[in-house]
Amino acid sequence: MRMQRVASIGPGTVILTRIASVLAALGVGGLVFALAGYNVPMLAGKVIRGSLGDAFGLQDLGLLYAPLILTGLSAAVALRIGLWNIGGEGQFYAGAIAATVVGLNVDGPLPLMLVLLGLAGFAGGAAWILVPALARAFLAINEIITTLLLNFVALLLVNFLCTGPMRDATQAVTSATARIPYTLPDLFGELHWGLGVAIGLVLLLALLFARTTWGFQVRLAGSNRFAARYAGVPVPRRLLQVLLLSGGLAGVAGMLEVVGTVHRLQGGISNNYGYLGVMVAVLAGGAPLGVLPAALLMAMILNAGTVLQAYGVSTNEVLSLTGLVLLFTAVGERLAYYRPRRSI
Amino acid sequence: MIEVLTGILFTALLAGGVLVLGALGEVLAERVGVFNLGLEGLMALGGVSAIITVAHGASPWVGLLAAAGAGAAGGTVFAGAVVGLRANQTLCGLALTITGGGLASVCGKAYSGQPARAIFEGWAVPILSELPLVGRAIFTQSPLVYVIWIVLPLALHALLFRTRHGIDLRAVGENPAAADAAGVPVVALRFAYVVAGAAFAGAAGGYLTLAFVPSWSDGITGGRGWIAVALVIFGGFRPLNVTLGAFLFGVITALGFVGQARNWPIPPAFLSMLPYVATILFMIVPALAAGRFGRRFSAPAALGTAYFRDER
Repeated sequence: MRMQRVASIGPGTVILTRIASVLAALGVGGLVFALAGYNVPMLAGKVIRGSLGDAFGLQDLGLLYAPLILTGLSAAVALRIGLWNIGGEGQFYAGAIAATVVGLNVDGPLPLMLVLLGLAGFAGGAAWILVPALARAFLAINEIITTLLLNFVALLLVNFLCTGPMRDATQAVTSATARIPYTLPDLFGELHWGLGVAIGLVLLLALLFARTTWGFQVRLAGSNRFAARYAGVPVPRRLLQVLLLSGGLAGVAGMLEVVGTVHRLQGGISNNYGYLGVMVAVLAGGAPLGVLPAALLMAMILNAGTVLQAYGVSTNEVLSLTGLVLLFTAVGERLAYYRPRRSI
Repeated sequence: MIEVLTGILFTALLAGGVLVLGALGEVLAERVGVFNLGLEGLMALGGVSAIITVAHGASPWVGLLAAAGAGAAGGTVFAGAVVGLRANQTLCGLALTITGGGLASVCGKAYSGQPARAIFEGWAVPILSELPLVGRAIFTQSPLVYVIWIVLPLALHALLFRTRHGIDLRAVGENPAAADAAGVPVVALRFAYVVAGAAFAGAAGGYLTLAFVPSWSDGITGGRGWIAVALVIFGGFRPLNVTLGAFLFGVITALGFVGQARNWPIPPAFLSMLPYVATILFMIVPALAAGRFGRRFSAPAALGTAYFRDER
């Protein structure tokens, strides 16, 4: 059978392809695990029961879901204008640092403080991407590399702050800051309102892209930068704004994590949210609403990593599954354009 | 003072070697039009393969060969996806980074934190190693260091710019449709040089774990793959310039090490940040001064794009 390439495919095909790619990746991953001697059906059962089976599992899943929505949204926003923000991890930490500094040093009533902390988180994340954003917008410097390299800098900075100037002096052994005296109200159980904020921001951005001139210009510049410039869109300025927004969203994720979940700044809190956010955005095809199901899938994979540790599977093994998901998505994306050739 | 300079030069050559190998591999891939963002994962795969090979009694040279083989294997999967199936290069590169890193971490679990069982030993060149300043810095290194810094860059430069084959492969990166029309096998060349470049990246990982560190632990590549990708841009996609750039980064890395060893009044965390921050600066500064260099150092025109013959 000969195949031919078609010029365009419908949204239904795109969604079906995504689902097929994810299933194929999980299938291949499961096969590799089985070959490595694991009892895959048993482990899969444990994962499903451990994350969906009871209220505790669901709370854990929700706590992973919220930051993944935001880091996914962060990367998706950049994808809308055709850019890759791989620095979610660093911006997450920058937002967490900024929120911690404000939380430990400013006194105020809780509602006001939560707004202030949110703004600090956003500003921290946006500041962290400022140099790559300016370099991309005005000098056309590859943002993939610059945003990614700053992740390493942020990690070193957090470890420096938590063991040095910001270390909790009352605790002898910790390498973390003091407890932040503000926290987010609970949604149910351990799960706090961060999830509500994250979903709210998804809806807000979906509206922004679908219903405003600014959103239209961004999408236009994302599909064809030259056409956008010809149509009068100030492309460099939009690139800059979108990247700052993208960094800010990842910063908010970091703020919610320190204020709502961990309550203090320490190394390792980013939990790969930044990197997984890129995958969320890819699976979502850059669409804000698509981030919700995609982030749920990544939350389940991440949660599987935690659940399976008890059965001798390392987190790294589970996380390499996400790489397979990405590879199969990329391949599926291309193959979706092929159809059996019609006879002439 | 002289002693400090010797130390910096010695470490710069040792540390920069990882970047030379990685960046030269990336030059090969990018010259045929493929942007390989998976260097970091390939390095990890190479590094762990080298450690495992020498742990079973092989010589470091065999370990390095195994590292290159592991890189080539990873590169074959990548090339199959981006050259064969024409999938998105950025996505597949990131996937390779993640999967490669994860796989390496799984395979290396049993070897993590132990010193490599065999390493590339230094060899003092008679007479030359007695020279002041440069003697100990340059002429007591492993012979592999000369291969990396002199033989490979010159060989690749000659291949790219002094042979007929080099013209073909650069044409594939600049204008695959024209190359195709002229009878150059676009897909075959892309496939071959992506795999060859990946083998270089794997070897870079092997060099890291058998000569520079020398041991294996999770995350040991520490962004060196990404710095190597940046170096290719900084070096204008030319082997010799890329090698000079790698030396510069070796010096910067060495400054960090020497600073920590000699207790300079700068927190170690900030010294460790140096290579990353410097990479970003070195990407920005040449762009600010652009125009002066013109097209001579610009990226291959078809870099990052898939080639469809039916769109010609």
